[in-house]
Amino acid sequence: MSDATTGEADPSTDTQRDWQGWSCSAAAAAGFLVCLVGWLRGGGTLSLPWAPKLGVRLEFAFDGLAALYALLATGVGAVVFGYGARYLSQHLADHRRPRSERRRFWPWMALFAVAMVGLATATDLVLVFVFFDLTAVCSYFLIGFDRERREARTAALTALLVTIVPAVALLAGAVLLYATYGTFSVPELVERVEPGTTTTVAGLLIAVAALAKSAQVPLHFWLPRAMEAPTPVSAYLHSAAMVAAGVLVLGRVHPLLARSEVVLTVLLIVGLASIAVGGVLALGRDELKQVLAYSTISQYGYVVTLYGMVGASASGAAAFYVVVHAVAKSALFLSAGAVTTATGEDRLSHLGGLGRRLPLLAGATGVAAATLAALPLTGGFFSDELFFGAAKEQGPVLVVAAVLAAALTFAYIGRYWMRLFLGPITTAPAALSRALVVPVVLLALVALAVGVLPAPITQLAEDAGAVSHAAPVAMSPAYHLDLRATNVMALAAWILGALLLAATGLRDRVSRALAAAGDRVGPRRAYTASLLGLRRWSGRVHDWETRDLRSSIAAVLVPAGGLAAAAFAATPIAQAYSVGPISGTDWLVLPLLALTGVATVVAARTRERLSIVLALSAVGFALAAVYALRAAPDVALVAVLVETMLTLVFLAALARLPGTEPRRETGPRPGRRWRDPVIGAIAGLGAFAVIWGYLSEPREAPSVSADQIRLTPAAHGQDVVTVIVADFRGLDTLGEITVLLIAAVGVATLLRRGRLW
Amino acid sequence: MTAPGSSRGPTVIVRVVARLLLGPSVVVAVALIVKGYTKVGDGFAAGMVVGLAVALNAVALGARGAEEALPVLRHAPRVAAAGAALALVSGFFPLALDEPVFSHRPGPDEKVVSVGTAELMTAVSFDVGIFLLVVGVVTVLVHQLAEPDQEHPT
Repeated sequence: MSDATTGEADPSTDTQRDWQGWSCSAAAAAGFLVCLVGWLRGGGTLSLPWAPKLGVRLEFAFDGLAALYALLATGVGAVVFGYGARYLSQHLADHRRPRSERRRFWPWMALFAVAMVGLATATDLVLVFVFFDLTAVCSYFLIGFDRERREARTAALTALLVTIVPAVALLAGAVLLYATYGTFSVPELVERVEPGTTTTVAGLLIAVAALAKSAQVPLHFWLPRAMEAPTPVSAYLHSAAMVAAGVLVLGRVHPLLARSEVVLTVLLIVGLASIAVGGVLALGRDELKQVLAYSTISQYGYVVTLYGMVGASASGAAAFYVVVHAVAKSALFLSAGAVTTATGEDRLSHLGGLGRRLPLLAGATGVAAATLAALPLTGGFFSDELFFGAAKEQGPVLVVAAVLAAALTFAYIGRYWMRLFLGPITTAPAALSRALVVPVVLLALVALAVGVLPAPITQLAEDAGAVSHAAPVAMSPAYHLDLRATNVMALAAWILGALLLAATGLRDRVSRALAAAGDRVGPRRAYTASLLGLRRWSGRVHDWETRDLRSSIAAVLVPAGGLAAAAFAATPIAQAYSVGPISGTDWLVLPLLALTGVATVVAARTRERLSIVLALSAVGFALAAVYALRAAPDVALVAVLVETMLTLVFLAALARLPGTEPRRETGPRPGRRWRDPVIGAIAGLGAFAVIWGYLSEPREAPSVSADQIRLTPAAHGQDVVTVIVADFRGLDTLGEITVLLIAAVGVATLLRRGRLW
Repeated sequence: MTAPGSSRGPTVIVRVVARLLLGPSVVVAVALIVKGYTKVGDGFAAGMVVGLAVALNAVALGARGAEEALPVLRHAPRVAAAGAALALVSGFFPLALDEPVFSHRPGPDEKVVSVGTAELMTAVSFDVGIFLLVVGVVTVLVHQLAEPDQEHPT
């Protein structure tokens, strides 16, 4: 498992570098530099027409918010990709998969980063939706990378469904806003949107999509399952990409959301619930990546809570929090992957005392954990200071909630680190490749640097907060050695957290109880049940529809007839369904129509094939006679010819069928005798209503046929039908005769394996 | 259908009538096309008339018998393809002249050369394409369906 043993088993691992991974990493680093320069130069906007009639534009803005998320996606991306270049080779070797499988990995990772940058810079809601879904598609392939494992495939599907189905709500919200305010562009919407029901509903719809993406309660369950993904994917998806996409959208449209109290309250409640649920569940998890996954849910709960508070400080704090969390969380994920690679274990209960063997990793992980726990000298201290500061402005309830949240975070991440690196050694680690440790150290150094020198990140967060708040934001995170409120809150959180850490029994019991309750009545259960229910329902419909030819036809005819009749019944038409006077040739037409009716009933009721064919041809000839009487000789001629041919072909086809009687299915069932006539009657009456309603409608606009009759002499013809077929509607005719040709090829394929003669 | 020579096959009269009807049916078809632009009927109807005559032959003589009596039937797939090609060309040649499809020549208000009632114009050649295609397709279908025992799917 170690670097050394793999080296022996596969000497080419080191010589043959994963150039795809390294080039992805290099590209991400280059992108980081470009974004950095772009941000320092003050950004810019780009707007190209895309679908002008729909008001959709390719509208990008490189503002503070875009800079923050683009820098995260590329910066963390560069580090994670570098780690992944080493990790993936090992992963593939461990699973005995060919090295070419890299091709299934890196393009998606790269596309993921591109989609994230696109999402960060997009300011058109439709464009946001496109990039939003693009990240989901990438995540599907990345989470399901170990596709031979069933759990990985299910996890990928869950992540896709839970994030992409609510994403439709984002589109719906965008369309709702467009319908009212006439634009998809977020900056324009911010200027135009006024508080009201539309804004509330649209805001809620957009929030649902964003919250599902950010794995917030109750749609959080996809994230822990997604831990089936290879570690670099988890590190990237759950720190700087996928999950961050949700809060990014929240930050982008926050000026719109802030117009509705309801939306803000929902954000606040969902955020706090996520902090609590994620934190408590993280306390009791055993698998490394599961702890981190629930921690992510909880941490993004902080950000959502901050977006739920109104105010400049909250918006700035949210942006600051995202940066610090992404750095720390990706370091923790990479470290978890390194630990698993070194020991082959992925459970806290099987691990311990690694600090003595892997001091560098333990130190770097410690810094990342301290960042989450908000200890001084790390960026986490400032993000919590800002969080507390924003909570303080909202009143005592949120102050208490904020302290409890921070205490919970302190406890679970403390438990995680202590279980992993302190105590007696349970599984001895093998030597670790430097490529798996350096990225963790690098990210830890960033977290420390922010803790010592918060100015650059503060500047970035102020710029990003200004976009979310639609007004300038000023923050001044700093160390103050006094008893101001935020310091007291931090102290209280640490003490409470330490107590929680010490009370192991209580802690485990509460966490386990919540996990059990979640398993019994949680949203994941509802998801599974609804998925299974949908599948059963679809299966039943499919079975019924494909049971025999009659059911297939009925499945088309019954809805068609029913819907058409319903549409006509619901449409008020003046003087429709009127009966005119009967005169002249009508007295000849009526008996023919009666004959048609009798023949139809015979065709529906009889079981003899020959009788059915003859009854059908009687219907056809009677109708042909009706056409002739109604002065449509062209149609009548074609009807007679086609009817003759059809009868012949039917008889020829019957000669090919075995037996003379239709096969009886499992005996005569009650109601079966009447099934076909009833289905036929529904379809027929539907068509009858449509035609009667249409034909008896008084027409005011000059009809197309009048034009065609007028133009026929100019087309050098005297027979309107022929001219229509060959000239006016020539393209239609061409399509129809092509169908004939295709039908002949189809028959030849069925009967003679494609030989036409 | 029944093969020739089988005890329950059609009578001699049917066979003779079937063969005799082929000529007149072609004449009727030609008439339908030629008069198509002035009277009832068009390429499709004409094609069906010939197709019915071929089908009658297949009923009377069996697919193989019809093929032996009328070796020309063998070219049915080619006839269908030629008809499709003719229709396609008649419809789409205006594209080469930068005009919309189905802009027939001679255009409105231009002089048309006629032979009897038949007008020499691309709309008529399109109709002839339809005729050929229908004849070919129907002949192929009749041939395929009329010979159930030629090849058993295994």
